[in-house]
Amino acid sequence: MPKIRSIAGYMWAGAAIIIVLATFFGSGFFSRTLVAASGVKISPLYSGGEVMRSVDHGSYKALIHRPVFDALIGESKEGFVQVNWEPLAGLPPVIEEPVDYNGDGKEDFSIRIDTKTGKATLTRINPLVLSVINTVKLDNGWVVRVQLKKD
Amino acid sequence: MKTDTPQVPRGEGLGRTIILTAITAVITAVMFSQGKIPQDPKGAIALILTFLFANTLFFLIIYTGKTDRYRAVYFSTFAVMLIVSFISHMLEARGSMSLSEAKVFQCEVPFCHLVIPMTLVPIALTKTIIFPGSLIGGYASIASMFVLWIGATLALGRGFCSWSCFYGGLDDGFSRVLKRPVIKKINPKWIYLPFAVLLFVALTAAAYLSPTYCIWFCPFKAVTEFNAVTSTEILIQTIIFVSLFIGLVIVLPVLTKRRTQCAFLCPFGAMQSLTNKINVFDVRIDKEKCVKCKRCIQVCPTLSMSEESLEQGRTRITCMKCGKCIDSCPKGAISYHIKGTDIPGKRNTYRLLFLFAAFLFLAIFSSHIIQDGIVRILKLVTTGSMIS
Amino acid sequence: MKGFFLGLSNGVTCVAYCTPVLIPYMLGEGKGVAQNFVTLMQFLLGRLAGYLCFAFITWLIGLSIFGGLGSKGLIIGILYIIFSCLMMVYAFFRIDVPCAARSIGYVARKIRVPLLIPVAAGLLSGIALCPPFLLAMTDAAGKGSLSYSLFFFFMFFIGTSVFFIPIPFVGALRRLQALQIVGKMAAGIVGLYYLYTGIMAVIAGAEGI
Ligand code: SF4
Ligand code: SF4
Ligand code: SF4
Repeated sequence: MPKIRSIAGYMWAGAAIIIVLATFFGSGFFSRTLVAASGVKISPLYSGGEVMRSVDHGSYKALIHRPVFDALIGESKEGFVQVNWEPLAGLPPVIEEPVDYNGDGKEDFSIRIDTKTGKATLTRINPLVLSVINTVKLDNGWVVRVQLKKD
Repeated sequence: MKTDTPQVPRGEGLGRTIILTAITAVITAVMFSQGKIPQDPKGAIALILTFLFANTLFFLIIYTGKTDRYRAVYFSTFAVMLIVSFISHMLEARGSMSLSEAKVFQCEVPFCHLVIPMTLVPIALTKTIIFPGSLIGGYASIASMFVLWIGATLALGRGFCSWSCFYGGLDDGFSRVLKRPVIKKINPKWIYLPFAVLLFVALTAAAYLSPTYCIWFCPFKAVTEFNAVTSTEILIQTIIFVSLFIGLVIVLPVLTKRRTQCAFLCPFGAMQSLTNKINVFDVRIDKEKCVKCKRCIQVCPTLSMSEESLEQGRTRITCMKCGKCIDSCPKGAISYHIKGTDIPGKRNTYRLLFLFAAFLFLAIFSSHIIQDGIVRILKLVTTGSMIS
Repeated sequence: MKGFFLGLSNGVTCVAYCTPVLIPYMLGEGKGVAQNFVTLMQFLLGRLAGYLCFAFITWLIGLSIFGGLGSKGLIIGILYIIFSCLMMVYAFFRIDVPCAARSIGYVARKIRVPLLIPVAAGLLSGIALCPPFLLAMTDAAGKGSLSYSLFFFFMFFIGTSVFFIPIPFVGALRRLQALQIVGKMAAGIVGLYYLYTGIMAVIAGAEGI
C-alpha cells in the first residue's frame, strides 16, 4: 500500500510538470473550450443584456437591449434598460430616441442626449421608468442606462 | 527508509546542475521566444536578458541548494515588471491609469486572478461572470486567467503565491528590505483573517452581483488601475485601497519581515490554501532531525510554522512553498515533499520535481511581462518615454 | 431578499456564535446523525419562533420610535455605528467571549427538560442579543411595516439556517475552533460594512435636517 501511494505521488508530481507546460501551450485552446463547455457569459449587469431591437436612423442606429432585472436568484425589484447609439461618426449633435423597452408597442420614455456636453434628458411616460443611471461616451458611440422598476 | 543525504543538504554537483539547467534552457528558449527572434533590437535584447536571467537563477537554485533567495529575486522582479508593463500598456491604450467608464461599458477591463473567488457562486447559479471584462481575447481575458488558475492549482496549489502571483512579489520584496524585523510579535490568529475576507467577499459579491473586493479593498489598484474620484463613495474606496497598499504591502512587510498582505488579507490566497488539498507537493519536517530551535517559525513570511505544526511535522495550510524555512533550518530538517512518499526519503528528488514545476510556471508566466518591461525601460532610457 | 442575504452573510457568525451551544449538546447526547437532525430541527424551530417574536417587537419599536421622527436616517445611522462597533470589538478583540445564548443554553441543560432544551436554546439564541442580530433588527425597524418585519426576519432565519445544515454530520468537527475564529472575523468585516453604511446614513441624515 505505501508503495502504491508513493508511485501515485510521483506520477502526480510528474504530471504537474506536464500540466504547467500544457497550461501555457494550450492556453488559447483551453480558454475556448472552457467558455464553450461551461456556456458562461458576462453578466448582463455589465454587458447590458442582449440587444432586443435595433432602430435604423440612416447615418446611425440605436440598439435597445432587453430590460435587465437579473439577480442571483430570481429577479430584483429594480433594474435598467441599456440603449446604445453607434457609430460615433454618424451621430447628430443631439440624439433623440423614443424607447419602448417592454415591446408592448407603446413608447415608455424618450431620451435626449447632447453629444457635446453629455447631458441626458429623460421624459418619462411609463411610471415604471425611474431615472437615467449612466450616460457614457464609448469608443464607437454613446450609451445610456435608464433605471426601471419591476411591475 | 535510510538514505545517504548529508545532514544539511547541499545543492547538486556541477555536472548535474548543468544538465538540469540545460533542460530548462531549452524549454524556456522555446516558450519565451515562441519560435521567433524579435526583429526590433530592443525586443531581441529583452528576450536574451530574460532568458539569461531565468536560467542563471535556476542554475543557482540547483547548484547552491538554496531556493528562496533566488526565487524571491525572480518573483519580485516579475511584480515590478508587471507594474511597468501594465501601466505603460494602460497609458498607451487610454492615456491614463484611471479606469474610464467607457472601458467598463465595453467590457474591456483586464481580469486578474483575485476576482476568481468572487465569481464562483454567481457562475454556479447564473452562469454569468460578474466582471466587465472580455471572456476571450484582448488584454488579460477572463477565460485565460481561469485556465491559468486551474493549471496553477493542479501543479502548485498554494505554491502559486510564491511562484506565480504578480502581486505577491511586492510584499515579498518589501519584506526583505530590513535585516531584522522591527515588530516581532504578531498574534497568529490574524492568519484566519483572509478566510474571513474570502467568506465575506464571496457572499457579498454573490448578493450584489458585483466584485466587492475589487471595488472596496484590493490594494493593488494603487499600482494598476483605479476609478477616477468622482463621488464620496469612490473617495472612501480610494482611501481604503491606498491605505491598505501602503500599510499591508509596504510598511508592515518592511517592519515585520512578513508578507502581511498575503498572510492577513488576500482572499485568493485563502482560497488557494483550501484548493491546495488537490496538489501533490507540500513542505514537511523530519521530526527526527528537528531540534526545536524555532528558526523556521521566526522566518516564515506567512506564519505558517508554529510549535503545533512542528509537532505534527507539517506546515499550516497557509504555507506558500516559498522555501525560506527550508533554506534557514540549521539541521536540514525541512524539505519539499511529495504526498504519499517517505520522509525524509529522496528529498532531493522531491525538491527537483517541485522546482521544475514551480520554476517553469514562474518563468513562462512572467516571460512576456518581463520582456515587455525591459523593452519599456530601454525605451525610457533611449527616447525618454515608456510608451510609443 | 435583503433579509436572506443578510442572513447568509451573518449566518457564519451565527454558527460561530451558536455552535458552542449546539455541538456540546449533540456530543453530550452522543446520538446518531438522524437524532442529531431532530435536535437541530427543534433548535431551528425555536430560533424561528424567537425571530418572529422579535419581528413583532421590532415592528412596535419601529412604530413608536421612528414613526414620529423626521430624521429616521440619522438615528438608524447612529444605531448602525454603535452596533457595528460592538460587533467588531467582539470579532477582533474578544475572540473568546461566547454569545449570550451559550450561558442560557447551559442553564437550560441544567434544568433538564429533554425535548424542550433544543427548542429553548434555539428560542434564546434567536432572541439573544448577539451583535449581528441587533444589526438586522435595526434594519427591519427602519422599514416600519409588520409584514416587512416578519418577512425580513423569516428570510434572516432562512439565510442563517443554511449554515446549520452541515452541523449534524460534523459530530466531532476537527477544525471547529478555526472555523469559529473565521466566523467571528467575518462578522467583524460585516461590522465594518455596517459602520460604513451607518456613517453614510448619518451624513445623509444630517444633510436632510
Ligand atoms: S496571497 Fe494573494 S496577493 Fe499574495 S501571492 Fe497569493 S494570490 Fe498573490
Ligand atoms: S528550523 Fe529546523 S531544527 Fe529548527 S525548529 Fe525548525 S525544523 Fe526544527
Ligand atoms: S512554511 Fe516554509 S515554505 Fe511554507 S510559507 Fe513558511 S517559510 Fe515558506
